[in-house]
Amino acid sequence: MTELRLISGAALAEPEPAAAAPPRLLPGRHGMPADLVRAHQRQRLLAAAAAALAEQGYGRLTAARVTELAHVSSRTFYQHFEDLWACVLAAYEEQAARLCDAIERAGAAGAGIAAAIEFLAAEPDVARLLSAEPPPQIAALAAARRELVERLGAMLRAALAERDGATPLPGLERRLVGAALALVASRAAGGDPQRLRDLEPELTELLLASL
Amino acid sequence: MAPEASAASIRLDSLEAAPTPEAAVRETAMESVLVAAGEIGYREVSVKSILERSGGHRVQFYEQFASKEDCFARAYATWIDRLCVSLLEAAATAPGWEGGIRAAIVRLFEFATERPAMTRALLVEGQIAGEPMTARYEATLERLAAAVDSVRADIDPAAAPPEATGSFVIGGIASCAAEALTAGEPSRLWDSLPELMHFAVGAYLDSEDAEGAFERAHVLLERRRARLAEETQR
Repeated sequence: MTELRLISGAALAEPEPAAAAPPRLLPGRHGMPADLVRAHQRQRLLAAAAAALAEQGYGRLTAARVTELAHVSSRTFYQHFEDLWACVLAAYEEQAARLCDAIERAGAAGAGIAAAIEFLAAEPDVARLLSAEPPPQIAALAAARRELVERLGAMLRAALAERDGATPLPGLERRLVGAALALVASRAAGGDPQRLRDLEPELTELLLASL
Repeated sequence: MAPEASAASIRLDSLEAAPTPEAAVRETAMESVLVAAGEIGYREVSVKSILERSGGHRVQFYEQFASKEDCFARAYATWIDRLCVSLLEAAATAPGWEGGIRAAIVRLFEFATERPAMTRALLVEGQIAGEPMTARYEATLERLAAAVDSVRADIDPAAAPPEATGSFVIGGIASCAAEALTAGEPSRLWDSLPELMHFAVGAYLDSEDAEGAFERAHVLLERRRARLAEETQR
């Protein structure tokens, strides 16, 4: 992670949600408002959670690795999150919202699928975070996954209805989203974004033709 | 705690072939680690939790396995392969392509109904555990996808679906099963049979074929419900 020496607080704007962790702030006096420092730390932790998950998987994921990647202390981590899963959940929810925004901005069904693939290919850690099946025992995370599948399914159904008045079999859109996420998970596993981009025309055909 | 009831459809090859005490200990521990992972989650599994289910001793366990991770990896490889072979056998003995897919899904649901924890371990916890289970899971899906894709030979090349269709269909079926098992509702799986058949057939053939597959699966499901109701009344 690149370090950035800041001369004053004005050099850093409010951090945008992103998978790539914002650069760490150097310790010591830098004249930045406390709430901005806090927001910056939080963004670094969320990005680090996605990066650590891509690196270690759910089975070996630890809060220690997240703090290490975010360049914050363990104390700072627990000032932001109750535990590891609260951090992963926050990262998941934030990235799920960004994915849905990207699809909504694209508009039509085909463009929405292309936007989703491009979003995931541009941020491979996020692709793994959103496509990997979370541990069922972490109920809030499993619920967030179900919510994402529901939302993507509703978007697919609405886009199809708008396009040609199609009314798919109830529940079929959730099967399609589940299948699409499984394909994304498989392609994202190697960390090669091109493999995900190559999927776009096929996935578009599969999702639109199946409905 | 005893392991889950044995599924008649899945052969315990190693027990049948070599019922030595060592093989029996190994087989029981491998079943137990999967059941434990399905019940409490891979991250929470310990040698103690395996032994609580298998009933063996720590020394016996370490004579067979280097660690909990080693036990899980070997158990996963063995059982995901058994499940895969069983699904392929079910498909091969059913009439026609559509019948083969339906028979394989029914076999998966029977296995999941009889052994929900083990199925959850195979479909969900293996991916959580990471490598080498993830690669094994992917290879299994690809093997099943190739079987589903066999219908391509009967489709006009001009109307052939995308290359990834087999993986798409198998991924959709697996994610549906994982969803029901994650929610702790394996019985809900059966309700999804007509919808899954519509999804699988529709990915390759036209909407009329998909609707026909939905109807035939619905009839099969109704017969199953009637049979179960009759058995319950007896």
